[in-house]
Formats: sequence, C-alpha cells, structure tokens
Amino acid sequence: MAHVTFPFPFPEHLEFLIPEMIIAMMAMVLLIADLFISKDKKQWLAYATVLVCIVTAVAVVQVTTGHSATSFYGMFVMDPLASFAKLLILLTTVFGVILSFDYMKNEENMGEYYCLMLFAVLGMMLLVSSNNFVTMYLGLELMALSIYVLVGYQRNVLRSSEAALKYFILGSLASGMLLYGITFLYGATTSFSFAIIGSALAESNESAHGVVMLGLVFVLAGMAFKVSIAPFHMWTPDTYEGAPTPVTAFISVAPKVAGFVIFMRILHDAFPAVQVDYTNILVVLAAITIVVGNVAAIAQRNIKRMMAYSTVGHVGFVLLGLIAANEAGYTGALVYLTVYLFMNMGVFAIIVLMRRDGMDGELLDDFAGLSKVRPGYALAMGLLLFSLAGIPFLGGFWAKYAVILPLIGAGHLYLALLAIIVSVIGAFYYLRVVKYMYFDDARVTFNFIENPAMKAVVIVSSLAVVAIGLYPEPVMAICKQALIGFI
Amino acid sequence: MIDLSDYLIVAACLFSLGVIGLFLNRKNVITILMCIELILLAVNINFVAFSHYLQDISGQIFVFFVLTVAASEVAVGLAILVSFYRNRRSIDVEDINTLKG
Repeated sequence: MAHVTFPFPFPEHLEFLIPEMIIAMMAMVLLIADLFISKDKKQWLAYATVLVCIVTAVAVVQVTTGHSATSFYGMFVMDPLASFAKLLILLTTVFGVILSFDYMKNEENMGEYYCLMLFAVLGMMLLVSSNNFVTMYLGLELMALSIYVLVGYQRNVLRSSEAALKYFILGSLASGMLLYGITFLYGATTSFSFAIIGSALAESNESAHGVVMLGLVFVLAGMAFKVSIAPFHMWTPDTYEGAPTPVTAFISVAPKVAGFVIFMRILHDAFPAVQVDYTNILVVLAAITIVVGNVAAIAQRNIKRMMAYSTVGHVGFVLLGLIAANEAGYTGALVYLTVYLFMNMGVFAIIVLMRRDGMDGELLDDFAGLSKVRPGYALAMGLLLFSLAGIPFLGGFWAKYAVILPLIGAGHLYLALLAIIVSVIGAFYYLRVVKYMYFDDARVTFNFIENPAMKAVVIVSSLAVVAIGLYPEPVMAICKQALIGFI
Repeated sequence: MIDLSDYLIVAACLFSLGVIGLFLNRKNVITILMCIELILLAVNINFVAFSHYLQDISGQIFVFFVLTVAASEVAVGLAILVSFYRNRRSIDVEDINTLKG
C-alpha cells in the first residue's frame, strides 16, 4: 500500500469529535431521507431525531476523559465542562423535539425542521468546545443561522416571520460587534486562541490598553446580545412570542447554555488580565438585566412574552456566577443552567399543551381555572412556577443560592442584595399565574391532546425540580466536577 | 505611506455607518441588510490591516470564514424577508410592528 503523506500532520485525537460527526452525518441523512418519506410517516423523522440525540449523548459520555485535551491542532477542546454542556444541550433538544411532535405535525416540510434543530445543536456543541475565536465564530453562526430559520418556520404566520426578521437583524448586528471586538484583540495579541490572548494581555504594556478595552467592550456586547443580557435583550420578547412554542422552549435554554459556557471560557481564559475592567461592566449589566427582566415581566398578558422577560431575569442571575469568577461562582452558574433547563422545559410543555382547537392558549387568562379541569397539570405548572420564583425548597431556590453565595464571597454584597430584592418582586408574576389557575373560574374549555411523551416531559421536569430542591448536593457535585481541567 | 491607523479609521467609519444606518433607517429592510454587510466588511478591513501590519497570516484566513458566513447569512436573511413580505405585503421598517408589549 502506497504511503500517503499529508502536507500537514493528521489531526490528533479525532475521536473527540465523534459526537459532532454523528450529529452532522445524521442531520444530512435525515435531510435526504425526508425526500423519500411519505407525508403520513414524517413523524418517524422526529423519533429518529430523538434517537440521534440519545446516541450522541452516549458518545459524549464515552469520549469524556477526566481532564482537558485538545484536538484539531488545539482548535477544539474536550474537557468535562464541554461534555457537561453538550449533555445539557442534547437533553434540551430531546425535550424540544418531543414538544414539537404535535405542535408542528401539520406544518409543511417537517423533515427540514428536525434537521435544522440538529444543525443548531451541532453549532452549539462546537461552540462549547471551542477555545479559539475562529471555532467559536463558526459554531456561533451555525447555531444562529439555524435558529433564525427555526423561529420563522411557520412561514404562513405573520408573527413568526416577523420574529425571525427581528431576531436576524439584531443577531447579525451582534455577530458584527463581536467580530469587530475580535479584530482589536487580534491586533493587540496576534492570536485567536483564548489562552494565548490571555497570556499576551497579561504581558501587554499600557500603550495597548485602549485597543484591548475596545476589543473587550465589543466582545462583551456581542456576547450579551447572544445570551440576551439587558440592555441588549430587545429581540428576546418579540422572538419568543412569535416563534413556534417548541422553538421558543428550545431557544430559551439551549443557546443560553452554549452561550454562557463559551462566555465563561472567554472570561476565564482570555481576559484574566483585565478582570477588574470586565467585572465592572458585568456588574452594571447584571443589575440592569435582573431589574429589567423581572419588572417588565409584570406587565405582560401573553405567557410566552412573560417567559421571555423571565428568561432575561434568569440570565441576569447566571451572570452573577460569572461575576464571582471563581470555582464556586462558575459551579453556581452551571447549577443554575441545569435547574433552569428543567423549569423552563416543563413550563413550555404545559404552554404547548394549552394550544387546542385552533386557539393559541398563550394568554394568562387562558390558564384560569386549570386546576379544576386538569389538577395534575395545574400542580406541575404551580411547582415549576414556584421554582422559577425561587421559593424554598424547590430547585430554583438552590440555583439562586448557588450563584448568590459566591457573589457575596467575591465582595459584591450590594448586587447580591439587589438580586434578592428583585427576585421577590419577580415572584409576583409567577404567583399571579398560580392564582389564575387555582382561584379563578374557567373561561374556556380544556381539551388537551393526550400525548404520553409530552406528559413524560412535564412529569420528569417537575420531579427533577422537586428532587433537586430536596436534595441539591448531587447536582452541585456534578457541576463542580464539570469544572475539572477548566479551573 | 499609508499607516495602520489609516486603515483602522476607514474601518471604524464603515462600522459606524453600518450601525447608524441600522438604527436610523426608517424605510426599507433591504437597507438594513446592506448595513449588516457594511459592518462585516469593516471587520474584514480591520483583519487584513492587522494581519499585514503584524505579518501574521491567520487574520486573513479569518476573513475567508467571515466572507463565507456573511454570504450564507444574507441568504438566510433574504429568505426570511421574502416570507415576511408574503405575509405582510410590505418590507417597510415601519410595518414590522405586529409584535410589541
């Protein structure tokens, strides 16, 4: 056999990319399979997508080693943090696909919907594994472009395409700002690698300070757009309201997980030398985000819009963990994201169930009297909302506890106090929904679709929230372990 | 002799034009797409200028990625715009107003 020589060494540790390869291959296979499957059998594509996600999750667990290792000439990093984030993203995707079963059944071109979801997941998986601005940008754009299309998927519905248009315009502006920031960091350090930028910034002299600050501010603004930190959250309510509800559920969790993990990597690897500067910026952003999210949610009558502002509020809390910038803070952020995944997916599952007989069931009034007709769902919804509000002892309480304690330890007592006060104010709009469900009379008939998978999502997420609330140690330990090799 | 700072100033002007155009434009969504393109081109000029000045090739490689992604971004953007036009029969910025609160 002839000996083949490459002009460059073959990528080492290619096995780390097996999960990404599975997703990429299967997304393309499903795209082609979609052409040959008759219309009444399209549901099989959804089941196949769930299967792909499960297989990929197994592959992620298989390739995980207990330490940090790189592949592709150091462009792709595989550490416990990346694996943990990938598992969260895949779990979200499974939930998201299950929510889409009935909701999207009658849309055209169902196959493409699931392929786009898989491509978005591929982008997010690359994103959490990147330790380099090039890989990060490509992952980010793959994720964003797939999600723009998913948001506008109901192409005969005006609000869906309008939501996609708004998200597209502001998302593109965000990537432009991010790139503009990257150019200055590149100019100051001659590198795109987070680690090399980090060490170069530590040695750089005063004269480069202005350029570095310019780069830092633009990168932070770009990232803030992507994870909807106020005042860069303008797209969030419109996009959440207009997008098909399963897509809203998906984009309220998965891109946030991916975005925050890469945010952590950038802050921890590339910007340790300017920690004082970025902390000052993030403290202001976090304060604005928590206040805007929780106060604006009070005025909403549409529950998807309310959940959008609630997301903004929760994003502010995750940001608190990043401000603490130590092991406990990052652990707290991961705990928050984990608990938030279950809470949000559960709530959105119930919102999806509310749609029936040609009505959307998205207004708060539609929930009136739910407890008398469907006590089980009302109980689950109540638990999830109590948890979102941070009532002890449910999952959401421990999530807030896990980010606020390190924040106080890092010396930001006033910010912690503000967060606690605003979360009490925020409890009002969650509890208002509970009031509608339990103390008001039903104004509409409830005619829920019976779907065992959907029921399973509701049950699993409510149980997870209760279980984490009663016994939070395992989740905290896992999140702490996920940071091995990162810190 | 053209300095690095000259290139950076041109890029900064283009970037500002793009951002200002994005927010001040009240007429047409196509203009917004052009503004986004302007922002990305400003980024590319920055990359190439730094790359030449630092004698480092990686900046120019990033430019290729940015160009490719920009092309696909505009494709997606125009597709969304077409579906919006079909529903609304208009692409005026003022008509993007059904979602608010």
